[in-house]
Amino acid sequence: MNTRKFLALVMSLIMAASLVACGGGGGGTSGGGESADNNAGGGGGSSAGLQVAIWDNNQLAGLKEIADAWSAESGVPVTINVITWDSYWTLLSSGASGGTMPDVFWMHSNTAQMYMENDLLLNLDEYIANDDSISLDNYYPGIVSLYSSNGSQYALPKDHDTIALLYNQALFDKYGVEAPTDDWSWDNVYEAAKAITEAGSADNVYGFAMNTSNNQDGWYNFVYDYGAQVITDDHKGTTIGSDEGKAGMEMLRKILTVSAPQPVVAETGTDSLFMSNLCAMITQGSWMINAFYTADGHDNYKWALLPYGDANGNGMCDPGERQSSYNGLGWAASAATSNPDAAYSLISYFCNEAGQVKQAELGVTMAAIPGISDAFSEAFPGMDVSAFNRIEEEGMLFFRPYTRNTTVWEDKIQQDAFLAAWLNPADEATMAMACDNAQAIIDAAIAAE
Amino acid sequence: MKKMTAAEKNAAIWAWAFITPTMLGLIVLNFYPIFDTVWQSLCKTGDFGRGNTFVGLANYATVLKQAETWQSLWNTIKYALIEVPFGVVIALVLAVFLNKKLAGTSIYRTIFFLPMVCAPAAVAMVWRWLYNQQFGLLNNIFHVKVGWINDPKIAWISIGIIGVWSIIGYNMVLFISGLQEIPHDYYEAADIDGATGIRQFFYITIPLLSPTTFFIVQTRLIGALTVFDLMFMVMDKTNQALKQVQSVVYLFYQYAFTNGNRGYGATLVMVLLVFILVVTFIMQKAEKKLVFYN
Repeated sequence: MNTRKFLALVMSLIMAASLVACGGGGGGTSGGGESADNNAGGGGGSSAGLQVAIWDNNQLAGLKEIADAWSAESGVPVTINVITWDSYWTLLSSGASGGTMPDVFWMHSNTAQMYMENDLLLNLDEYIANDDSISLDNYYPGIVSLYSSNGSQYALPKDHDTIALLYNQALFDKYGVEAPTDDWSWDNVYEAAKAITEAGSADNVYGFAMNTSNNQDGWYNFVYDYGAQVITDDHKGTTIGSDEGKAGMEMLRKILTVSAPQPVVAETGTDSLFMSNLCAMITQGSWMINAFYTADGHDNYKWALLPYGDANGNGMCDPGERQSSYNGLGWAASAATSNPDAAYSLISYFCNEAGQVKQAELGVTMAAIPGISDAFSEAFPGMDVSAFNRIEEEGMLFFRPYTRNTTVWEDKIQQDAFLAAWLNPADEATMAMACDNAQAIIDAAIAAE
Repeated sequence: MKKMTAAEKNAAIWAWAFITPTMLGLIVLNFYPIFDTVWQSLCKTGDFGRGNTFVGLANYATVLKQAETWQSLWNTIKYALIEVPFGVVIALVLAVFLNKKLAGTSIYRTIFFLPMVCAPAAVAMVWRWLYNQQFGLLNNIFHVKVGWINDPKIAWISIGIIGVWSIIGYNMVLFISGLQEIPHDYYEAADIDGATGIRQFFYITIPLLSPTTFFIVQTRLIGALTVFDLMFMVMDKTNQALKQVQSVVYLFYQYAFTNGNRGYGATLVMVLLVFILVVTFIMQKAEKKLVFYN
């Protein structure tokens, strides 16, 4: 009991401390906005500097190193501001309305279409044509097409990410359960989660944890394993309410019955549960590796190939049964930047093959160019992260589901469709109904776009 | 109209010169946004505030039809019903005690005022961990398993408690300044007449403090009806109790900023504005009956 009290106290303190740190970041952001204004007034020039905005603190150190190398060559200073995911989009859309966007920033599949259609991003066509170091054919085609609109390219692919299963070796040893292997299906995950949750109930340890908000890194993959699509290839519909979609979510429902309950997951968070040694398995994306690599208990953290969904029940992984969503960010520049040449030069430096290899070597993320991410597996000495690379050979990748305004239905299916099923995983009908509700929500949202 | 003398003219010019900066600020930062919001609420807004098309009252028809609008308005009222009365009564009692000449009053005043100078986000995060059902300090001290912020029946109370805790210090400082304006003679006279401290409190302090109390209730009521940060920071968006706790402004944020539907968001805010206007109107009527100005 005492250790739990102590844990609670420590958690509170950590949260308070991290907030102070966040506050400092926010201050830097507003300062960034001011200096961007100064640039506009000064008419640009090599000493003006570029303001760069990103949302992932884990990538800051590596990207800064690459940006500094570019600054040394070009003589243009670069300031990178990290803004949390939610605030990032608030800031960017307000900046878009008010004309004060950062010079260079990340684009994401959720909103890229809207930004491109409204001419807020710098058209890169001419720059790419005159740049020997960039050839669009080299990148993952899904990412290139994501950032093109009406035949023009508005962002260069920055990276790609995949999903893997993260497990805590110490907990598997403690409860005498065999650790995940590359041959695991979701049924194996269910068995292991059941064993650990039952054996660990006295210590509040759970075998598995997933929230409704773990979509790209979680339940989307179940839907595709079983042959359905959250958003169809033409981005105009969904098959989540089909029998295949329901079969995938039914598999997940089974796992949820032996996982951390939804209220626990919503209050504490799956990552915090895992890092507190209270959860043995979660699914996570390659963009999160650094957070776990630098965590205290990282010696026990291991990555396994993302399990497959045995849709036909033959006990082996057939083509299409192991699917990982992948997404790629894009480096874009503001159409209103005062220094478009420098902005493109920086983007090109990040995205050309040398920059992509360096990004992988530094362990920032995997490259947006297939076949050059091997260095990424070596970037975390002592932690084997090859599962993120191997899934490309042993499984299939599908692009993260997106439409013109993804956030509308993405949030709504988390809160209004699947929350009920997560809260009551014992009931099969609730999950099936949630799939039908999600189908209706997505169809209505697309109709309104 | 009477013609102004040169001196009067001069004074008028200076007066305008002095209020111009304030007027400009009000026009740019308050009046323009108000009218722009009214306009947006009548539009189907395009991406990034471009290409708005006038749709009349269509947004209002949708907003007023949605159950979530009325639920969130009710949530907001429930929050105000906790924050305002408790925030005022507790602050008043503390102010009366801390207005006495006792050792250490300034330390206590500082302690009670501390929540006001903390960043609201930090406050919310610490409370979030205190309230955590499984690992929170509260449940572990009392050996209970209460879902403070995920049980839809009590989550609104838990949020209200944070609101009260945050506002007590501010209300208290206002009350202390109000108390110091009450002439001491009344209390001396009451002492001589043999009135107890309790009777003095109810028959002297409360009536003479009523202008301050009214001011606090009025401003806090408006503040509570526009609450946003507590729900936003304390509750995860996958929290099952969120629908029973989210305020109107939270809903506004969701639509206007997360979903990029400014027109619908503006309409929600207009509904809230009308509600606040009604409340304020009733308060102004009540002022004449309840507030005692000497």
